[in-house]
Amino acid sequence: MKGPIAVLRRLSVAAFAVAGACGMVTDSNGAERVKTSAPIAIEGDASPRPWTRYPGWTTRNFSGFNSLASTASPPVALQPRKLDGPIVGDPAIGRQLVADRRRGGSCLACHIMGTAGNADLPGNVGPDLSEIGNAGRDDEWLFNYVFDPRVYNPETIMPPWGTHGVFNDSEIGHIVAFLKTLKEPARFASALDDPRKRPTPEEKRDNLDPLVNPGMWAVEKAQELWKTPGPNGSSCVSCHANPEAELKTWAASMPYWEPRLHKVLGVEEFVTRHAKATTGQVFLMQSDENTALAVYLRYLANGTPIHLDQTSAEAREAYSRGMALTTRKIGQLNVSCADCHSPDKGGLKWVRGQWLGQLRGQLDHFPTWRTSQQSVWDIRKRFQWCNVAIGADDLPPDAKEYGDLEFYLAAQNDGLKLNVPGIRH
Amino acid sequence: MDMAEQPRIKLPGQARKGEIIEIKTLVSHAMENGLRRDQNGVTIPRKIINRFVCEFNGQLVFSCDLDTAVAANPYLQFFAKVEEDGTFRFSWTDDDGSTLTAEEKIIVTA
Repeated sequence: MKGPIAVLRRLSVAAFAVAGACGMVTDSNGAERVKTSAPIAIEGDASPRPWTRYPGWTTRNFSGFNSLASTASPPVALQPRKLDGPIVGDPAIGRQLVADRRRGGSCLACHIMGTAGNADLPGNVGPDLSEIGNAGRDDEWLFNYVFDPRVYNPETIMPPWGTHGVFNDSEIGHIVAFLKTLKEPARFASALDDPRKRPTPEEKRDNLDPLVNPGMWAVEKAQELWKTPGPNGSSCVSCHANPEAELKTWAASMPYWEPRLHKVLGVEEFVTRHAKATTGQVFLMQSDENTALAVYLRYLANGTPIHLDQTSAEAREAYSRGMALTTRKIGQLNVSCADCHSPDKGGLKWVRGQWLGQLRGQLDHFPTWRTSQQSVWDIRKRFQWCNVAIGADDLPPDAKEYGDLEFYLAAQNDGLKLNVPGIRH
Repeated sequence: MDMAEQPRIKLPGQARKGEIIEIKTLVSHAMENGLRRDQNGVTIPRKIINRFVCEFNGQLVFSCDLDTAVAANPYLQFFAKVEEDGTFRFSWTDDDGSTLTAEEKIIVTA
């Protein structure tokens, strides 16, 4: 394998030359025309049913809370609860609870809280509570603000810890007792610990160098798959002999509204259904083959600005549904996409040591190599991870809700150039 | 998806006689350190690349032993002085006794 970079350069030069010579249709309408006439298998699902979570992910059942597809969360508390008397709690236990990462990520995920948890990488999504003990709040107010803050602020993005059963009454009592002891500004061991001074993360690695990004290996795997015949005797190359030229822009117009299935298809589901209909191969979503091809198809369109066809009424409806899903409160933590990723809420802030990006900039590098997971994740798997992380059941990767969400997300990334495979933590 | 099995090597295809060249190698391996436990509390057995060797025309250029603290997908970068045309041969030895090998040729000009 000599000089993989040199090989890649040769490929892209060849692609440019051929695309220029034969005058490829590159406008979005042209791309749409190709997609809706491409053969696809209509029947069946594009991922296993029943869908089961990936090995190593939590096995907890979150069916008692909203997901992107169902409504199940406990009713919103309307009135503050009256307390029988003053809170009897142990501040030392409260100090431990607020820093316990096993409970919804801990209070420190969003708040600076004085010396709690040794002020180790607190977040700044919520206000600094280091001097809340001086604020003159009574026990009932503090208790209810932790139990279900919606009784005071219906717009809050803070989880209803009591109503959703993360902490019980006595635990919240300990937390209130601790909050009342907080009377001095936090002192940080280092500038990195202070979320106001922590530098914004920036990805500068050369993601297209196979020695830097193992995600690039998917490209080679896909190039092999491209030539491998399926049960029908044909392979990708039978119809797409020159993918570098033919598919130079295609992936940047994905996902799209597919009238034959009445849902939005992303690259991954399209690969499953198109391969089934043409070569007879079964490349279910989240299989290695599917992910490799999804990386390759976007890699071919690298440098092309993301731009969706939204001319049809159905596409615009998918956009609206996707937008509505981004404000849907889901999971035990009761947060929406926008709560964490909209800059007027939690977006562009720190949740503990992790930076919450905004929707724009969250798609152009997917599928991406994740160094923390040692594998390539597509955007649907990222959606599933987001869901499970906030205590909401994940949906199958080909769920129509994820299609709508990906459509809206892609529209928010309009104009950004594909750069796949990315490399991220 | 996980990684491919093929080792990655980057070195110049040509060099001048006596030139010191840079060689980069990357191999796909989980480097399971033998200290982790699975969900049932059972220790996951150690399985790592424990030795790397690079030879040029049969002569040792660089070798090293790897141990438990080395991260997944070990990446090694080193230098060699080349005096003649020839073939670099690389090998990675796994705890299970298996060996991955790769070769790269280089042309040396005066």
